[in-house]
Amino acid sequence: MINLLEVEGLGVRFAGLDALKDVSLNLAPGQILAVIGPNGAGKTTLFNAISGYVRPSTGQVRLKGHDVAGASPHEIARHGIRRTFQNGGLFPALTVLENVLTGLHAQTGGNFLDVLLGRRRALESEREMIARARKLLSLMQMEKMADMRAADLSGGQQRIVEIVRTVASDPPILLLDEPAVGLSPLARDQMMEIIHRMAGEKGVGILLIEHAVELVMAGADRILVMAAGQRIAEGTPQEIREDRAVLEAYLGHA
Amino acid sequence: MMPTQSQLRLRTVLFWMVPLALLAVPLLVNSYVQFIVNSVLIYALVTLGFNFVIGNLGQLAFANTAFFGIGAYASAIATTSLGLPWLATIPLAGVAGAIGGFLASGAALRGIRFYYLAIITLAFGELMRWLYVHAKSVTGGTDGLSLPRETVMGYSLTDDRVKFYVFLVVTVLLFKATLNLLRSHVGRSIMAVRENEVATASLGIPTSRVIVTGFIWSGFVVGCAGSLFALHTSYVFPESFGMLHLIISFAMVLVGGLGSVLGAVLGAAALTVLPEYLRSFPGMEELFFGLIVIAVLLVLPQGLASLLRRVSPIFVERFYRE
Repeated sequence: MINLLEVEGLGVRFAGLDALKDVSLNLAPGQILAVIGPNGAGKTTLFNAISGYVRPSTGQVRLKGHDVAGASPHEIARHGIRRTFQNGGLFPALTVLENVLTGLHAQTGGNFLDVLLGRRRALESEREMIARARKLLSLMQMEKMADMRAADLSGGQQRIVEIVRTVASDPPILLLDEPAVGLSPLARDQMMEIIHRMAGEKGVGILLIEHAVELVMAGADRILVMAAGQRIAEGTPQEIREDRAVLEAYLGHA
Repeated sequence: MMPTQSQLRLRTVLFWMVPLALLAVPLLVNSYVQFIVNSVLIYALVTLGFNFVIGNLGQLAFANTAFFGIGAYASAIATTSLGLPWLATIPLAGVAGAIGGFLASGAALRGIRFYYLAIITLAFGELMRWLYVHAKSVTGGTDGLSLPRETVMGYSLTDDRVKFYVFLVVTVLLFKATLNLLRSHVGRSIMAVRENEVATASLGIPTSRVIVTGFIWSGFVVGCAGSLFALHTSYVFPESFGMLHLIISFAMVLVGGLGSVLGAVLGAAALTVLPEYLRSFPGMEELFFGLIVIAVLLVLPQGLASLLRRVSPIFVERFYRE
């Protein structure tokens, strides 16, 4: 299978400390790769290095064979790697629909002058994007909330809107940083179902940070285990369950 | 509550009906009131442009007065030195203000934000004032510049009633253009930066460029307002573009409502008309002015616009167009 995303020897040094050291991974279309590890293992740093929020000191991030390591976040997003944030990245004062529309920004036609003068080119594209955003929301049964302010939604609804906004532009790669944290068990199952649908139906390659190990064991195709900034194991859920290094990292030396 | 479809249609009708109705103002009021109304139009633009940066883009910035001065001087210099008719200098003043917006915010492209950007914009404003005073050969120094008397199609541009019609057209066009911007992907990206810049970048939006774009549009609007101001007072000198003007325009933004286009009109109208009434309390004007501003903000922290939003959803702004 062709890999969408190839990360090779990625490292991040902060003031002489290795926050991330020599991490490599491959992601294929439709694959869900979960990243697990104790707090401080470097999972979010890995995400930040891939998505351009932290400049990697070593290594490559290849997207369909093209190295994007060191590019700025918006450039990497335009290349097709989109991410969500652990603490939530919605725009609270904007409505649900407006939030989803910002996810379609790069697709929206009409330059500054077209918009300013209300030219047809801009208006037609705007209408098209609104229809697209509404359709995406209705797929998640959220069309009735389109005109609600994001700040007025429940935590679970906010996470779903953030994911809708992130996938609105049909990115080939999605980085989800703890999408199920703080959700009720019911909402968590719903979230995992959404993630599976995106991978299965749209062929999105998904990198997923998740703390709930049972969720990951049931839902991921492969698991990457990290500790102290390094990769300590990678394999199928079954392989990881039986890996000695993983047991040691989680439970201490036996 | 969001406005319904029929309320949106009514809003569009109102947007054009109000200026149409205002066409009758010169026939109904005396020259003193006309002068005040003209001031309101100018300050509505000043507030609109300033609000665009601090309310919509969410960047603390103090260069608003600089854009106003740049626009006023651009018009004054173009009419006196280049001999251009004043009407032709309005877009020129807008472009000069836009360039000012670019210069004041260019540091954003290097990652400068908030307080640091605010200090740069403040310095930019003071630098401009230094230029007005010291570039004597073009600006006239502390003496300033007087605009030549002009006529347009036989009507004298020294007549406040004639000025009013020009001011009204410029104001309506710039408000319409700003609303077009805000109800588009450009406007949404500007507000997204205010809400969460980190998340905005993750959507493929170049946030530094968005910030500079916001300043450029603000500079254009306020630059045009400066051009109107030059004709309004027919005399441009450095003292008009100091700290006092900055503080008053700040107050207009806050009293009207941060980030509200409607608020720009309300804030400008309230704080232009109010001092006229306070004139009957000589020596106490500033005190009363300050107290009233504080009182409004205590009762209505979201400004006068929030009062109207409570009355009817027709005044609630939507940032998309179907």
